[in-house]
Order: sequence, then structure tokens, then C-alpha cells
Amino acid sequence: MDNILNINGLENYFFIITKVFFVSCSLLYLVFALIVVKQVTSMSKSVTDKFNAILILFSFIHLGFSILLILTMFGL
Amino acid sequence: MNRSKDLDTVAPDDEVFVSKSAEETPKKKNINTEKKSEVLLTKEDLTQKIYNILGHTKSPFSSFLVRPKILTFAERDENEEIYLAVRPHWINNLSWIIVSILMLFVPLFFRYFTFLNFFPGQYQFAAVLFWYLITFIYAFEKFLSWYFNLFLVTDERVVDIDFNNLLNKHFAEADLSVIQDVSSSVRGVLGTFFNFGDVLIQTASEVNQINFEKVPNPEKIIKLLKELRDLEEEKDNGGKNNG
Repeated sequence: MDNILNINGLENYFFIITKVFFVSCSLLYLVFALIVVKQVTSMSKSVTDKFNAILILFSFIHLGFSILLILTMFGL
Repeated sequence: MNRSKDLDTVAPDDEVFVSKSAEETPKKKNINTEKKSEVLLTKEDLTQKIYNILGHTKSPFSSFLVRPKILTFAERDENEEIYLAVRPHWINNLSWIIVSILMLFVPLFFRYFTFLNFFPGQYQFAAVLFWYLITFIYAFEKFLSWYFNLFLVTDERVVDIDFNNLLNKHFAEADLSVIQDVSSSVRGVLGTFFNFGDVLIQTASEVNQINFEKVPNPEKIIKLLKELRDLEEEKDNGGKNNG
């Protein structure tokens, strides 16, 4: 909030717009990461093979990183 | 003049002609019993036959899995046995692997754009993280599309399972008994060099075409399908004869 209140130039406007853009992109990406987890899980149910557990693990790691991305964006 | 043996009287000078049908009757019986025994092929014989046609799978990462033990699919019947599971040849993954590797190096080029230094370090970190996530998901999605793009030959049917862009699932199947024609085409330098191509299966069912795309060893798949179709026909004929 402090950052938003300390607007004293065009530069700040630019950073606010960039931040809003980054945060909305990362939120959309989080939704996408959730869809990936759901899809990989359902694919694995549809076709069971040796490496399905690893693939599910990868999708969860990806979800974790997308959450980290959001946290980074909010920390900007 | 030849005269049949089964005449009431045989003239002593006449050459005796033994009727072919009389000689062949026991042979025909033998053929019938052989056929029956072929129809009733033991499971071991059939397995051996399949291995003779397809060979053994050497790696679990192979795109040509013969009688996979762990692999199964949701629509599989209880006693259905998978003889062959095929994915598109691994060489088809080369393009996205190269693109992914190139994408990994893109952030290094940002150093040369000095105007990007205008952004604070946190922004730059977030942008790089975002870029690597996109790179990862691009490669992951391509891998999943390949990994879950399966063509299966079971003891009952051929199955085509396909996932496109993570969101669309396509499932097609055709019984072995309704397969009419099987054809294959190997195209291009890579196809010829790595021996992969398309196998087109024409059926008499509602799904009138099943296409196995870019699969390795198409000639082996055709041979297996022919063998299974023959077996299916023999089973049907055996059933009709017995009935």
C-alpha cells in the first residue's frame, strides 16, 4: 500500500501498471498450473504406466513454482 | 484305360487306378486336426509367436512396447491382454527438445539489452522465473502429448488413445474381427532412416479408420495384425465347424 501511496512521478505509474500486469499474468498462470495438475492426474488414470507418479510429481512441482511466482509478484 | 478299384469286377489285365479321394480322405482328416490344434494355440505358443514377430522391448522408455506388464488403460476389459503398445517414434520429439533448449538460453540474451536494467532486480527475477516456467510447461506439455499418445493392439481390438494440448482426449477402437485393410506408409528421410511411418487401419465399424501416426516398425505392426486377424478368422471358422 505504501508503494501505491508514494506515487510521485510517471515512473511510479509505469511500475504500478507493470506490477498489475505481472500479478494478473501470474494469477492466470496459477489457474493454468492447477489445470495441468488436474489433467495429468486424469491422464494417469486413463493410461497407467511406470512413470505416471513422476509426471504427477512434476506437475505438482510446477504448481509450487507458480505459487512462488505469485508470491514474488506480490513482493514486488 | 484306368478303372476304379471299387468296381464290382476288375479285369485282370486292366491297370488298377486307385481313386485319389480314397487316398486323400485320411490326409484331410489330419489337416482338420492340425487346424483345430492351431486354433487352440496355447498361450505360450501365441506369446512366442508375438515375440518372434515383434522382438523384445529393450527399454521401458521405448516407443515400441511388446506385451507391457505395467501399462494399462481405463477402457480395458478384465481379461484383455495388451500385445503391443506404440507411441510415435522418439525422433519426432527432437524439434520441441531443441526449441526448449534454446528457450533456456533466452534470458542470457537479456543481458545485452541494457534498457532492461531500468527494472529493479525483483522484477527481473520474476520475469526470468516466469520465462523458465513457460519453458518448462512447453516442454512438459509436448512430452505429455507424446507419452499419452498411445496405439494399442490387444487380443480383442486395436485402440487409439490421444491427448491433444492437455485438454482434449480422443479414444477410438476397433475389434480385430472388423479390420478390413491395413496399409502403411514410410515417408521422408527421417522416416526411412529411423524406420517409422503411419499405419492406416480400415475397419467395417463405425470408426472406419484408425491411423497409427509416426509409429516405429510399421511392417511389424502389419504382420502382427495379419497374424491376429488370421487367428480370429480361424477361431470363427472353428466355431462354425464345431457348431
